[in-house]
Amino acid sequence: MTRSIAANIRGLTLTIALAFLVTSIGVGYWTLVSGEELSADPFNPRLVAAIRDRPRGIITDAANNKLAESVQTANGYKRVYADKTLAHVTGYASFQFGASGIEAAYAESLIGQDPADPLSQWRARYLRERVPPGSVMLGINQAVQQAAVAALGNRRGAIVAIDPRNGAILASASWPQYDANLISDPATEDAAWKQVNEDPNKPLINRVTQGLYPPGSTFKIITGAAAIENGVDPNAKVRVDDPWQADKSWGTYFVRSSSRAHGDYTMADGYRLSENIYFAKIGLQIGGPKIAEYAQRFGIGAPSRCDITAAKGQVSRTGALDRPTLIADTAYGQGELLVTPLQMALVAATIGMGGVMPTPHYANEVRDAEGHALRVIAPGPSGQVINPETARALTTMLVGAVEGPGAFAFAAKIAGVHVAGKTGSAENPSGAPHGWFVGFAPAEAPTVAVAILLENSPKGGEDAAPLGGRVMAAALGK
Amino acid sequence: MIAVTRRRPELGLLFWVGALGVTGSVAVAAAEVAGFRPQQLVIPVTFIVIAFALHLFLAARGIRGDQLLLPIAAALTAIGLVLVQRLASNLLVQQLSWTLIAAGAFAATILIPRDLTALSRFKWTWALLGVLLLLSPLLPVIGREVNGARIWVGLGTVTFEPWEAVKLLLVIFFAAYLEEFREVLSQTQRRFGPIPVPPLPYFGPIVAMWAIAMVVMVFERDLGATLLFLGIFLAMLYLATGEAFYTLIGILLLLVGGYFAYHAFGHVAARVDVWLHPFAEDVRFDSGYQLVQGLFALANGGLFGAGLGNGMPDRIPVVWSDFVFDAFAEEVGFAGALALLALYLLFVYRGMLIALRAPTAFLQLLAAGLSFIVAVQTLVIVGGNARLIPLTGITLPFVAYGGSSLVTNWMLVALLIRVSDLTARVKGTP
Repeated sequence: MTRSIAANIRGLTLTIALAFLVTSIGVGYWTLVSGEELSADPFNPRLVAAIRDRPRGIITDAANNKLAESVQTANGYKRVYADKTLAHVTGYASFQFGASGIEAAYAESLIGQDPADPLSQWRARYLRERVPPGSVMLGINQAVQQAAVAALGNRRGAIVAIDPRNGAILASASWPQYDANLISDPATEDAAWKQVNEDPNKPLINRVTQGLYPPGSTFKIITGAAAIENGVDPNAKVRVDDPWQADKSWGTYFVRSSSRAHGDYTMADGYRLSENIYFAKIGLQIGGPKIAEYAQRFGIGAPSRCDITAAKGQVSRTGALDRPTLIADTAYGQGELLVTPLQMALVAATIGMGGVMPTPHYANEVRDAEGHALRVIAPGPSGQVINPETARALTTMLVGAVEGPGAFAFAAKIAGVHVAGKTGSAENPSGAPHGWFVGFAPAEAPTVAVAILLENSPKGGEDAAPLGGRVMAAALGK
Repeated sequence: MIAVTRRRPELGLLFWVGALGVTGSVAVAAAEVAGFRPQQLVIPVTFIVIAFALHLFLAARGIRGDQLLLPIAAALTAIGLVLVQRLASNLLVQQLSWTLIAAGAFAATILIPRDLTALSRFKWTWALLGVLLLLSPLLPVIGREVNGARIWVGLGTVTFEPWEAVKLLLVIFFAAYLEEFREVLSQTQRRFGPIPVPPLPYFGPIVAMWAIAMVVMVFERDLGATLLFLGIFLAMLYLATGEAFYTLIGILLLLVGGYFAYHAFGHVAARVDVWLHPFAEDVRFDSGYQLVQGLFALANGGLFGAGLGNGMPDRIPVVWSDFVFDAFAEEVGFAGALALLALYLLFVYRGMLIALRAPTAFLQLLAAGLSFIVAVQTLVIVGGNARLIPLTGITLPFVAYGGSSLVTNWMLVALLIRVSDLTARVKGTP
């Protein structure tokens, strides 16, 4: 006997009812559960909507100068940025293209829903009440910033200055720049967005946090730290004869000395004269895994802890250093290494702080509408990444690299203050070497650490070192 | 002489529907920059006149039976008008005109055919008409391609999606055919293990009918309609035979077909990839933009929503047709979304109740199949909006902007009311 149609109808109706239940749960998930995460997504136009419907919070530098604010126009509010040189830091807040930089990282704070004020979040979410937006105060110091911008000029590259004691970023310059005002203005956003994305110089990239470059000789700081902590005596003489290869299996491949050197080198000599062969030899002596481990300790290839989006770089394409030539090349800063200027500034800061690595942050404080601090951004150090004794030994050698006889980085000297630093000329596929300088001052108790990067600079590190001196001098009030 | 019936519950409910339409319209207008202007009341008032006219028409014709379907469909249509006003106010007058046409189609379906069994007798005519309608978008002069899917026909400025009508014809044909052969189909003695082997001569025609629909829809690149037709086919087969194995095999075929479609058709693969990884960097600004913006809207909904006119659903591309559910949920919250789903479920429940009570197998299959259409369309588009299944271009019945959908759905309501009316007459209940 055939089952009655009525029974089948009941079965089908039950199935439909169950499907409605599942669908309702799905809708409930998106409306109620996922809200927290999706509402904070920097690409959610609702976070940016406040630019048009109501004023968004202001962004200030360390001296409370306004860097970004909302001004009223005929069509509602519009975001206005005061300082074009800080476009990469403040970012933009476009109705159509989302937000970047501080505008994205502190999007909730800027619409009056800071995570430190759960009541405001709760009120916004469930009662739709809007707390007037607060402000975000950055660590940017105008004197240092202007020195950095002037030093960089119209050269593709990046300059960052950081307070090694707490990780606050004092200056951050990246060139080429873009105009955040154009991307945040509904009238011009389409054209501006198209233009910056088609520009081969990629002006939207914050080269401080997102520019990836081979570190060149500045990486020798990490190789040296790894060597000292793994049984290499920095005072022992190492024979250097240009060109050099470990054995015949390298074929036609040789490590070259930039000064065509022949002689016996200590580690201090190695830093002062930036001797590739010295570091290639001690790198091979301690082995690839140790170099990779110390690079990791200094945060290369690890997710960034910076408060705005930052690249993590790489030790090598696979993350491992397993071939002798790759180990040798990596030891003096080439190979497949990629780092950001911010990462190298942190390396310098860590040496200056006796091996304690600070956590970088652009913002110092989130305030409510009345100006009271809601939250102080003080993330604390990432950890003790090398021994204090190692750091002290390296500091002495890096002072020598600036102030010693024939030192490559002599141009970074500042009158009356000991400066520790290291230049680098990073070979790269896009033309002339990138010029690097990293350093900190005063050497014995640093208050500033810098990284300078000049893309395809004719004289490499030689061009970068004086800029480092100027920026640090500005930070020291000299 | 037709005895006039009193449809008191229906009349009472329509007052609430009218209130819903007016408050919704005023709320949306008040949230706009220009504020509320009295002349904007013309739209909801016109709608209320239409709704009450339909009620009076049913009463005057002496129609008995169900009194909930008309108010529910009217409430959904009112929500649709409010949302069109909110999301695409330039299309509002057009949508109101379609509502008027839909009301006309409803009335016509109440009157014609005089005898419902005519639907069953001319089943091959419906099948042929369905196939012709399906093929019509492929014709050179009247066929139109919109957003990569060639599923429209147009005459002048008026465009129509023929598959909307085909879904009704398909249910009518299946109901008629299965009524005739359901005994043969389900009482087969031949079994291959637990799998029933259907008698092919009887099975052939419906499979052929379904296959034509599938091939044409695949050719016209409309994922949603293909899914709907397969759903109708499987549901009707199950209703008639009670053989769960047919459904199982059908779902298996769907998975196999889906696998091949994924690898063979770029548009299918794109839909699935967006569904799986909408937030991936290269997807969210490109093919996944619509879905991601829809999910942002849902997430902004919370429990009670932003309030009509206060959300930002207008950031979703083509929100008024594809993502009307997410827009609604953003502004009225989870509570409002649940209420909307409850309205649909109630509609389906009433339809299935009519099917249960219907006096003949044809009417039972017809009413259940029609109710199933509303259920599947709602589930498929809401599921797509909430990223439970890949998104398809199915419309949310009565609510989403679109003329063809509104007209055919109101014809569907009319057919259900007629089955209910016939049942009341046969069984002598009011």
